Amino acid sequence: MRVALGVLGVALAAYGGWLLLRTQDTGEVLTIGVWLGAGVVLHDAVLAPLTIVLGWAVARRLPDPVAAGAVVVLVVLGSASLVAVPVLVNSAGPQTNPTLLVRDYPLGWLELAGASLVLAAVVTAAVLRSDEARRRNGADPGRR
Amino acid sequence: MRTPPVLRRLPIPTEDSFTSRLRSAAVTARVGLWLGVCFAVAFVTGVLSHYAQLDHQPVPLPTRPVWGYQVTQGLHVVAGTAAVPLLLVKLWTVFPRLFQAVPRRAGELVRAVLERGSIAVLVAAAVFELATGVANVAQWYVWDFSFRSAHYAVAWVATGALLLHVAVKLPVVRAVLTADVDDTTHDRPGAVRPGPLTRRGLLRVTWLAAGVVTVAAAAGTVPALRRLAVLAPRDLAGGGIPINRTAREAGVVGAAAAESYRCVVTAGSRQVVLSRQQLLALPQRTATLPIACVEGWSASGSWTGVRMRDLLDLVGAPAGKEVRVSSLQSPHDTVLPASFADDPKTLLALALDGDPLSLDHGFPARLIAPDRPGVEQVKWVARIEVLS
Repeated sequence: MRVALGVLGVALAAYGGWLLLRTQDTGEVLTIGVWLGAGVVLHDAVLAPLTIVLGWAVARRLPDPVAAGAVVVLVVLGSASLVAVPVLVNSAGPQTNPTLLVRDYPLGWLELAGASLVLAAVVTAAVLRSDEARRRNGADPGRR
Repeated sequence: MRTPPVLRRLPIPTEDSFTSRLRSAAVTARVGLWLGVCFAVAFVTGVLSHYAQLDHQPVPLPTRPVWGYQVTQGLHVVAGTAAVPLLLVKLWTVFPRLFQAVPRRAGELVRAVLERGSIAVLVAAAVFELATGVANVAQWYVWDFSFRSAHYAVAWVATGALLLHVAVKLPVVRAVLTADVDDTTHDRPGAVRPGPLTRRGLLRVTWLAAGVVTVAAAAGTVPALRRLAVLAPRDLAGGGIPINRTAREAGVVGAAAAESYRCVVTAGSRQVVLSRQQLLALPQRTATLPIACVEGWSASGSWTGVRMRDLLDLVGAPAGKEVRVSSLQSPHDTVLPASFADDPKTLLALALDGDPLSLDHGFPARLIAPDRPGVEQVKWVARIEVLS
């Protein structure tokens, strides 16, 4: 079954590659190739190292319960911010369609940032409370 | 050649440099499972959407439920949006693998190159699909290739690479998913440092992020959630039904507003030419139908106009024929499968919610049919041609 699944996978991917070559001209195929590569490079060489540095700073500087809250901010607001790039950038330019990009996106981002801070505080409080309960019961502080 | 001092000082990590016990196959597989579900939903609904936009569908899609495309395309964008945090967290858990030592024996080397090559294709295709999809819904066109055909072709690459990845990893996936999330059997030996959260905690935060991002970015036209959709490109407030492309953007303002506007209906050698006044004089019908955009948003309206079937009767066209509907916006047209052309709810609409159509909604006349992609609901209709 694994072999069948693998063969099916290779076949679908090959069909996708063939579609790409059939429906795009050479210049477009090259641009798409650059975009495909850029995604990997941006993640592996920019986003991931940045996350590591942030994670390292958080783990070193903040006590565990606060660091747990910082993880919430990083995951929730971090991914929301990436998704927000197109609306933030595009809404800053001239608009020709009154029904597109109708909101105040910088304000929306600030609201999301506020909401993630609240969620972070909730998580920090929850971690503190469960640590406290474990200590009172004399139990192991739990696996992290 | 000697290594330049700057490079010697750069800390190049190895797999063992990553010690957090959160970077575990037990976490990867759990996030990966839901990421796989998202990609599967996006792939199936995406292929369906691509098929719905074909001019000649070998097997025509059904005309009911009228909200079918609204749901499938909404799911497409929701699944893709939710996949963003899932993909980021999953990649974080497996990032150490990027620094795995390269095997020296030829056989192992070939295997490693093949496996890592397939992963590179998977990551590249997955990031490409999410990035172009998210940019497209904001109409942020920062590329010069065709979004639709590139997003479609790379979707097959991503899905194929994903199936291959699942095939390769299946034994590990099965083992970690049937064991407790804190089980360490399949962890890297060095991954023992406690994180600020438990593994369960990290998973919960990931699900939370998927929910928050999806509502914030993709729920703009969902009435109950639209106030929370602070990053959504579209909204129902104010203008009612959103517009994908305005009359000015389409370059049809002059032709659409002109007194000389006529709609031509033809079948073989028979032809009738109708002004908007003449269209208004024909029996008027009203249908409540959604405009459901490929970009995921949708909004329902009450459309009034002439039934397509009544127009086809004017030129004596028999039932069961495909019909090409063309716009003043050249070259923009759609071919209605026969079942859609003959459907009593398919209208050449002249009014929306009781008011004459606005220019941006397709004045003088637009096509509205049940269960069709918004891009195929041709505006500024100039010609209706029964195909033989």
